Amino acid sequence: MQKDKASKLMQNIGILLFLTPALVLIGIYIIWPIAMSFNLSMFEWDGISPQKIYVGFNNWKNLLQDTIFWHAFFNNVKFIFLSIIIEMPIAILLAVLLDRGGKKFDAFKSLFYLPMLMSSVAIGVLFKYIYDPQFGLLSGILSFLHLDFLTQDWLGDPKIAFYSVVAVICWQYIPFYMIFFIAALSNIPHELYEAAKIDGATQGQYFWRIELPLLSPSIKTACILSLIGSLKYFDLIYVMTEGGPSNATELMATYMYKNAFASFKMGYGSTIASAMFMIITTAGILAYFATKKKEA
Amino acid sequence: MKRFGRIVAVVTLVVFVLSLVLVFSPSEKAFSSAGSTKKIVFWHITTDAVGKQMIQNQVNRFMKANPGFKVEVVPLQNDSFKTKLKIAMGSNQAPDVFVTWGGGPFFEYVRAGKVKDITAYMNEKGYKNRFIDAAFGPITYNNKIWAVPVEGAGVALIWYNKEIFKKYNLKVPTTYDEFLNIVKTLKAKGITPITLANKTKWPGCEWYWYLVDRLGGPSVFEKAAERTGGSFADPTFIKAGEMLQDLVKMGAFVKGFNGLDWDTGQSRMLLYSGKAAMELMGTWQIPIMKAENKKFYENNLDFFPFPAIKGGKGDPSNLIGMASSNYYAVTTTCKYPKEAFNMIQYLIDDQAVKERINYGQIPPVKGLKFTDPMLQKVYNIIAKAKSVQLWWDQYLPPQLAETHKDIVQSLFGLTITPKAAAEKMEKAAKDYFKK
Repeated sequence: MQKDKASKLMQNIGILLFLTPALVLIGIYIIWPIAMSFNLSMFEWDGISPQKIYVGFNNWKNLLQDTIFWHAFFNNVKFIFLSIIIEMPIAILLAVLLDRGGKKFDAFKSLFYLPMLMSSVAIGVLFKYIYDPQFGLLSGILSFLHLDFLTQDWLGDPKIAFYSVVAVICWQYIPFYMIFFIAALSNIPHELYEAAKIDGATQGQYFWRIELPLLSPSIKTACILSLIGSLKYFDLIYVMTEGGPSNATELMATYMYKNAFASFKMGYGSTIASAMFMIITTAGILAYFATKKKEA
Repeated sequence: MKRFGRIVAVVTLVVFVLSLVLVFSPSEKAFSSAGSTKKIVFWHITTDAVGKQMIQNQVNRFMKANPGFKVEVVPLQNDSFKTKLKIAMGSNQAPDVFVTWGGGPFFEYVRAGKVKDITAYMNEKGYKNRFIDAAFGPITYNNKIWAVPVEGAGVALIWYNKEIFKKYNLKVPTTYDEFLNIVKTLKAKGITPITLANKTKWPGCEWYWYLVDRLGGPSVFEKAAERTGGSFADPTFIKAGEMLQDLVKMGAFVKGFNGLDWDTGQSRMLLYSGKAAMELMGTWQIPIMKAENKKFYENNLDFFPFPAIKGGKGDPSNLIGMASSNYYAVTTTCKYPKEAFNMIQYLIDDQAVKERINYGQIPPVKGLKFTDPMLQKVYNIIAKAKSVQLWWDQYLPPQLAETHKDIVQSLFGLTITPKAAAEKMEKAAKDYFKK
């Protein structure tokens, strides 16, 4: 008994010892900056001068009344919704098709995964050219097909820009979820398929009755990932539109960046960042519990 | 497998220790001071191949004359430079020498004590007199000089395709009505009258600034920006907004302008290809066009100043821009300010002036002659201008400048009325200056 306790203590000390490096790193790189930005949100600061002016909760009060911030927040929500309903079905479809194809489709797997390998900035620049209303590939294809009336001012029209950008982001992220679902599909035992075949199930029945239900935990996880990713999305939008025209594609992150670094309002930028942290954490926790309950 | 685990453990440990060192070391200088050479870090934004090489050559001449010094030249893209500089300044990782346009954002750094006062160096042996007087406006603050004018004049002019004008028998306009007629004619011939890349908002603003200047003269803006009896809700600003939206509604501008990017050349390509006839843009585009499309530059390109508006108070010789477009400043954290200043002098000594003119710039130096007729023409126009008003987005404090640019982009997008735009700007200015 005595011996057991001692070895347990030793084990705990061992665990603590091995965890220390990770804890120190997380503390320095993650927890400390978060605390710092909450602290900064109490100040009016231009980001360069040595003195900061303490303003208490003033920045937070302004944030609550800032119509552009709420517009950006609403854009984020729209973005979550769109990316989930566009990305998930396509990713599942591709995954199922590639899975059925087996080894023959290995080349397609790598091919479809390509967009995920490119940096968002490169994709942004690339699509800026594709969307160019005069020389762009998209307009070119449309006019080649004699569909000129469909050509739009893809990134310059406030009504369309948001959807143009969402389309690119979906293109970029579908491969990620596709691979995610392929991995999940490969976990479905082959016997199930054989059994279903013997029972006379069609391909469609097999998909709806067996594959989809067995995929559902993965789909839930993918939706949470997409939700959190969509809330903090930044790079591609900044490269393509800078949140414009007229805030049409503004997201919380682009608005934060512009305040902190272009307008020299570091304090207010930190307030937005802190608000984002709170929103994303809450959304993540809620989503986690919502899906967990259903599983149990 | 065991061995693999050990390797992973070692690698992890090394990464961990290294990151701790990085976090706790005060700055990068902890590493670089080991050598005996003295280092000057120099940031600029001339990223085209020819210009980048030109600056490197000038710096090399400095290093040759000062063997103890090593200059690290860092060319950066225009828009990312602004952010990078701000972060570097805020986190005490500032370069020793950096490029600036002067005005509002620059004075933020001056007020924060980040920029070295170089008045004494400039006055030494009358070095200051080498430069044209108008060049000192955007970098003089509290009667002190904070940067050296180096790169050429940058004023906004309307560039046009000579061939298109000739083909349709169009004459260079001197009044705004003539200009509108040209727009209508070109439109009827199926040519986009004006190309514009307004994603970053400042290219479109240039139209608005000129309209305000021609309607009310430079003082309308200055009085509003300085809060000395002026207002951004003044009828002049509303009228300028209306005229701007009239141009948009006429279809004067290229389709999709609010999504096109000037930095990647999306507006210039339309000029080169003859799809569009005109563009309002700064003279910094001369060397760029010369390098990108020499044939077009030599045969097809010309320019005219913004036309006069009937009944407007602004003098038609007025320009928007600056007598020198890029200035170089020394930071207070620079260990060798004297040498850093000396290095900047190499960027604009007689040899450099020759190279810069060849490159296509108009150096801010007194008494120049040019072999390139285009440059001579620009030089003459600047010499005779009644006023050269600094870009508003550099004149205004950064926070207001961003608001202003957003508002003008909305004007272009027809999502705000000129009256609401003027009132919104006035409210922002009132909130900022608290008067």
